[in-house]
Amino acid sequence: MKTKNCLLIIAIIGAFASNAQTGLTIKSGKVDSIPKKNSKSSIWTKVAPVSVTVLPQNITSPKLQKSTIPSVKVTSINDGITIGFLLEWTDSTKDIFVDADKFCDQVAIQLPMDAAQNPIFMMGNKNGRVHIIHWKSVWQNDIENGFRDVKEAYPNYWTDVYPMAERQGDGSMGKYARDVSVKDYSKGQGKNFIPGFYAGNPMSIFDRKDPSEECIAEGFGTLTTQETQNATAWGTWENNKWSVIITRAINSSDPQDAALPEKTKIAFAVWNGADENVSGRKHYSMWNDLVIEK
Amino acid sequence: MAQVKNWQLNREMQYPYDDNRPKKQIAYIFDTNKCIACQTCTVACKTTWTSGKGQETMFFNNVETKPYGGYPLKWDVNTLKTMGDQPWDKTTKTFKGKTIFEESGGDNVKGWRPEERDYAFPNMGEDECSGIVNKGSFFSGIHDVWMFYLARICNHCSYPACLAACPRKAIYKRQEDGIVLIDESRCRGYRECVKACPYKKTFFNMVTRVSEKCIGCYPLVEQGEQPRCVQTCIGKIRMQGFISKPGEARADNPIDQLVHIKKIALPLYPQHGTEPNVYYVPPIHVPVDFLNQLFGPGVENAIAAYKKVKEDKQALGAFLLFGNSPKTIHSYKVEGDFTVGYNEQGEVLTRVPFTEPVFVRPYSDEKYGTFRHNTP
Ligand code: SF4
Ligand code: SF4
Repeated sequence: MKTKNCLLIIAIIGAFASNAQTGLTIKSGKVDSIPKKNSKSSIWTKVAPVSVTVLPQNITSPKLQKSTIPSVKVTSINDGITIGFLLEWTDSTKDIFVDADKFCDQVAIQLPMDAAQNPIFMMGNKNGRVHIIHWKSVWQNDIENGFRDVKEAYPNYWTDVYPMAERQGDGSMGKYARDVSVKDYSKGQGKNFIPGFYAGNPMSIFDRKDPSEECIAEGFGTLTTQETQNATAWGTWENNKWSVIITRAINSSDPQDAALPEKTKIAFAVWNGADENVSGRKHYSMWNDLVIEK
Repeated sequence: MAQVKNWQLNREMQYPYDDNRPKKQIAYIFDTNKCIACQTCTVACKTTWTSGKGQETMFFNNVETKPYGGYPLKWDVNTLKTMGDQPWDKTTKTFKGKTIFEESGGDNVKGWRPEERDYAFPNMGEDECSGIVNKGSFFSGIHDVWMFYLARICNHCSYPACLAACPRKAIYKRQEDGIVLIDESRCRGYRECVKACPYKKTFFNMVTRVSEKCIGCYPLVEQGEQPRCVQTCIGKIRMQGFISKPGEARADNPIDQLVHIKKIALPLYPQHGTEPNVYYVPPIHVPVDFLNQLFGPGVENAIAAYKKVKEDKQALGAFLLFGNSPKTIHSYKVEGDFTVGYNEQGEVLTRVPFTEPVFVRPYSDEKYGTFRHNTP
């Protein structure tokens, strides 16, 4: 049953693959240093960008029914130690919040752990693991503007008491319950009432240092946060355009990171928050060749 | 999609996973005729589970007034609208329409996503009745307008839509009791479950950025105790137990007696196809057409049986156990003028008389030299 499903998925993916653009080559040009946050640095202009077509994901549920992003412009440079990718795409709305009905803009790159295993371009497969570096605008906003707690989202909200808060906010010292931040709350008993944090969920981090997440995957639904997070990412939204820089070490000591030989593969995914893009509701690319000028 | 049997629809239906009924299935009966909307259940649940950051507007248990109330706002109307007209064959009590799994437009589940504002009015429509009360009709017997209270929790569905929609398989249904849980370490906050659950009983936490849901008070259930909302219910409208698989009903299981055998308690919105496990005694004063939409085609029979429950000692015996033990009653026996509830080991949990004894105490108490007032 399982093998049949797997074959079916491969067959479907094959059928879709033929509609997509394949076989682009992204050359990572050698430079002196990588500007990790500055997408306007002239260093990025030393290499010609490649426009990679992205398609709405409609192979597995949940599907993206309509495309709102046609392509991502990719530029890659390296200084022999670090490799950087500048990913640019048009997006008329800057979506940096999440809530019951709010979704944020995101982008990710995907590298095969071992290109020779030729993993499926979409999240890999058993015995064909992939390494994913994923930038999320909501995380970057936490870093740039502070964690978006309830009070930041709803400045006029009121709550009488958070029973388990360490600092009760009883009105003395001018602090009320709503002024108790989740960082304070999560220090003592309150932790029991922040289930995601209590369970150590990587989504529930309130003092994030970098807006990227490094993951491994071996098929749909298997995305797993890596133990060691050593990539970086930074995004800028200007003039209806996102420019996101993702960097990582070329020779990483982390065994969960993909090896980066001179020639490997790379794929991309991008999410438009305004159109409720999240999880599999994304735009994806096929594998492209990545050639690293060393 | 697999073919599974949904007894509430009296037919097979499509579901993304194979049939895999748990060893035991948690189930509840709520008697809507007895609920007074005191919200004790809501507060008991809130203080126990959702008084933290990011849970401000989260109610695993809520009580809303029908016809106009609903939390999140218009949750049921919106799902009904999303699904469109879906007919029942009332004679065979077979569902002829499409479930949320069968008309899902390429996804696993067809859902409706509430806006964040929809969670801001948990009391909207409270105590509002269906129409304007005509002058004088307060005093003229049965009213021509109506309303009733609908207490709601997660239904720990046999075919959970939340579970079906989660692409990460972060939601699971426990084999030991059928309770449906979100793995708080695995969820990535995709909110597919929030959109998919037709009862809107999974919630997104904007602080932890993952979803949460009613946990059926599993730490209590594991110790043979009924959940908080059941234990604290002022109106004694609730009972929690375990429902047998279709076709295996036991007459001495109070849940089976009222759901499978007497068919007095009915599932809420069975047409969505999740096989929900909170069963409601429909309100006896509400137009049947409205109730059919909520509880399916069994409403008239259920109301008729409920009205005659005084003559049905088995059914009445099951009802009398409501709110009379903090422990979960697995079986019961009618013994003369008592109904006796037992735990899984066969030990007596409670003995409830069919008729409460009446004590008449004199108005003037000689011993204490005082008068008794008729105050409760
Ligand atoms: S009521 Fe909703 S949250 Fe509860 S099990 Fe059913 S589908 Fe899931
Ligand atoms: S505690 Fe019982 S009577 Fe009170 S609102 Fe809840 S269900 Fe109704």
